[in-house]
Amino acid sequence: MKLKVNGVERPVAAAWQNESLLSVLREQLGLTGARLSCGIGQCGACVVHVNGQPVASCVLPVSEAAGTEILTIEGLAREDASLHPLQQAWLDAAVPQCGYCQSGQIMQALALLQRIPDPDDAQITQAMNGNLCRCGTYDRIRTSIKSAALVMRETR
Amino acid sequence: MAQITRRKFLIASGWVAGGVTALVALRHRAVAVAPTIIFPDGESGATWVQIRPDGACQMFFPRIDMGQNANTGLAQIVAEELNLSIEDIQGVQPNTSQVPPLAVTAGSMSLTAFSRPMAIAAATLREQLRGLAAVHLGAPLSSILDAVGGFRTAEGQSLSYAALVNETSLVIEFDDTKSAPALYTFDSNRIKQQVGHSKTPLGTRGLVTGEPVYAADVPVAGVLFGRAIQPPVRTARMASIDTTGVAAVAGLVALVQTDDFVGVVCKTPSAVDAAMAEIEVTWDLEQPINQAEIDRLVDVDAEMAVGDLEQVLLDQSHRKTVDWAIDLRFDVQVQTHAAQEPRAAIAYFKDAGEGGHQLQIWTGTQDPWAIKRFAAMDTSLSEEDIIVYPMRLGGGFGGREHYEVERDAVRLARTVQRPVKVQWTRQDEFTASRNRPASAHRLRINCDEAGNLSDWWHGYVTGHVILARDRLPGWLLPVARLGEDMGVVKGALSPYEAPHQRVEFKDVDLPIDLGVWRSLNAAPAIFAIESAMDELAIQQGLEPVDFKLAQMGDQHPRLQHCLARVRALSLNATLPEGSGYGRGFACGIYDNRCFVAISADVQVDTATQAIRVHRLCCVQDVGMPINPGQLRAQIESNLTWSLGMALFERLEVGDNRIKSTNFDNYRIPRMADMPSVDIEIVDQPSIPPAGAGEVALIAGPPAIANAIRNATGFRALKLPISAADITAGLRGDRQVPVN
Ligand code: FES
Ligand code: FES
Repeated sequence: MKLKVNGVERPVAAAWQNESLLSVLREQLGLTGARLSCGIGQCGACVVHVNGQPVASCVLPVSEAAGTEILTIEGLAREDASLHPLQQAWLDAAVPQCGYCQSGQIMQALALLQRIPDPDDAQITQAMNGNLCRCGTYDRIRTSIKSAALVMRETR
Repeated sequence: MAQITRRKFLIASGWVAGGVTALVALRHRAVAVAPTIIFPDGESGATWVQIRPDGACQMFFPRIDMGQNANTGLAQIVAEELNLSIEDIQGVQPNTSQVPPLAVTAGSMSLTAFSRPMAIAAATLREQLRGLAAVHLGAPLSSILDAVGGFRTAEGQSLSYAALVNETSLVIEFDDTKSAPALYTFDSNRIKQQVGHSKTPLGTRGLVTGEPVYAADVPVAGVLFGRAIQPPVRTARMASIDTTGVAAVAGLVALVQTDDFVGVVCKTPSAVDAAMAEIEVTWDLEQPINQAEIDRLVDVDAEMAVGDLEQVLLDQSHRKTVDWAIDLRFDVQVQTHAAQEPRAAIAYFKDAGEGGHQLQIWTGTQDPWAIKRFAAMDTSLSEEDIIVYPMRLGGGFGGREHYEVERDAVRLARTVQRPVKVQWTRQDEFTASRNRPASAHRLRINCDEAGNLSDWWHGYVTGHVILARDRLPGWLLPVARLGEDMGVVKGALSPYEAPHQRVEFKDVDLPIDLGVWRSLNAAPAIFAIESAMDELAIQQGLEPVDFKLAQMGDQHPRLQHCLARVRALSLNATLPEGSGYGRGFACGIYDNRCFVAISADVQVDTATQAIRVHRLCCVQDVGMPINPGQLRAQIESNLTWSLGMALFERLEVGDNRIKSTNFDNYRIPRMADMPSVDIEIVDQPSIPPAGAGEVALIAGPPAIANAIRNATGFRALKLPISAADITAGLRGDRQVPVN
């Protein structure tokens, strides 16, 4: 089995083909940006994109991700190592506290902006409400989504 | 610190020989959060700042990162003293074998305890460099002026640190018995460049790019996966263990079982899940685990009916028999940390030759040196053979101080002699967290004819906090409990003046594990105090804010300022007309040096009684703001926690277990719950900074409760407040004081 992650084909060892996508990303492919928190699809810490859709990778069997295009937080920065506008907005607003939820927040936000380039407050809340942050960074997440959206629309 | 130790310490802690280094001791006694108390010895808590031969500035980070970003604040201080920018500072975070023990990162003490010594170290370094510059330029010391990254003279000569330290190798020690050099950080006349500015915390870039920073992210070659069974309470003993099905699980490497421990090691995470599901344990409990038992144990009225409570915090011509204007009981339920990161550790017993072993542990913990010590006791290795690599914490909040997931990893790794990673499940986190206890408070207040407070009587019963069972070694616990539990008394003394006062309490064991939770007893106690004062003001026909301001006397000008300011701030928005809207206020003092006041605007649906917080305003004074942006972030965090504490968080227990298992049945605040937030930070340029990590949580829940009172007439007597409570209360099913 192979996984295509951040544009690169990676083999998955036979013994790992019954694992969740999250486990394979983290433990086999060394992509530890997506994180385990609830393990039941209830918090968003593990969100990655599969064929452009945000999914909770903790509950997705890796076998179902074979043959798809997977994007993780590690694949967001540009080739020259400059940050994606969302990452830059997160950095500028100093969103992370403990930081644990933030990869998932950014990936969820990216999915939102790909769908709705100029979301209003209600749309942001609806898209982000499943991504929990115990540190309570929600206000800054909202602000950063808006500022990143602006940058992304301008540079489109 | 003796010469040799100092050298060893410096080199071990990432210091590079050469340049100019200032060493200083952080004379910070550990916050009393046993069992992990390590009283730093003479050489403990040493820290240093160095201008390296290449001109770069390096410093040693004395704190663990978990979201409060204290190291960033300390780096700002160093940058300010040295006329550098925070981007120029490189931090070094050592492991436990490199430096003498540092005290646990807890109690929001980091800035309070470390800002001054850090400033002294950097200022000492600066003045040393100034002396070198004077020699170098052949000019008198007084003519050497500060410049960015170096010095200059009025005549236009300039000298960078790099040029100065080029040839120099000097270590200076500062002893805080000597007089300190001028500290720019605390000079209220100085226009500051670093301190007082909102700098993005160091390490933030790695958090938005997904770099490996938490324990479970650490790549360790050949790592296996494991987990152990967590008891519903640490006093539980395994009555029976059935592991019949485990052996058949594909990918199983080992089943590890001792008297008090059962766990598995497997080749993959899903095999661990499968193997753990095959283990059946029944428990012997000392007490039944259910809500009724908890309620019975903290029943303050039953205790006060029998007589005085065990401990008296304040007794000032107390009068027992008074016609109480206010006589209310407040109940606060058990809450848990629910940090987003389930704790994780990787342990590896490495063959060190000649039958010896070295144990490496990667873990996110508030207290790495305690982990080292407990691992030594657990394994009979000597402490010298153990290295703990402290990793970032995905949330601490007081819940990450103990040898627990590390224990699991160590025991499993020892059996298989390979590196083993253990990450608790979310259910493990709920089951084995050391929670904030339930507490019950009886508040009795009376006024004289002039309407001023005359009598104040606050009795409360709570579970233990710092002196909770299993936080201390068994032999130490009874001795420690002869003294006061510092966590249990937090926030219990009110800021209000009354000639007759008594504050008394009793702390008890509950059938679940208890411990340190953000703000300790302060949030529950201040919920009771601020609710009672609000009710009293309403009873007297007074504005609660006016009444509170008046009843503080002249003892608490900083708190008065916060409360008056938050009222002004709240008036920037008008409450919508119509029934169901209300505004409430609360204030409080944390640790004698942090002051906060909050207003809440709520809407209670007139049909369903569903509660919605629309707006929170907060004015906070914790002295000098080192990093206003981060101070604000901590307030935002505490306001979010206030919503959870006021409106929905309660750990469910029953059937002899913890019934809350995940975020689908323990609700924490979400984006949709967030109100608009208005924050004002009081700048006190001449008052040393205090930590803000748990301050605003003390006033948030009572502000919300008081707003609900204002909106509906319903006085919330227990937290969390539900729509059903309001419905029942307004119907008169329950006794509530409504005017
Ligand atoms: S860890 Fe996957 S949704 Fe929570
Ligand atoms: S930043 Fe800590 S959980 Fe979101």
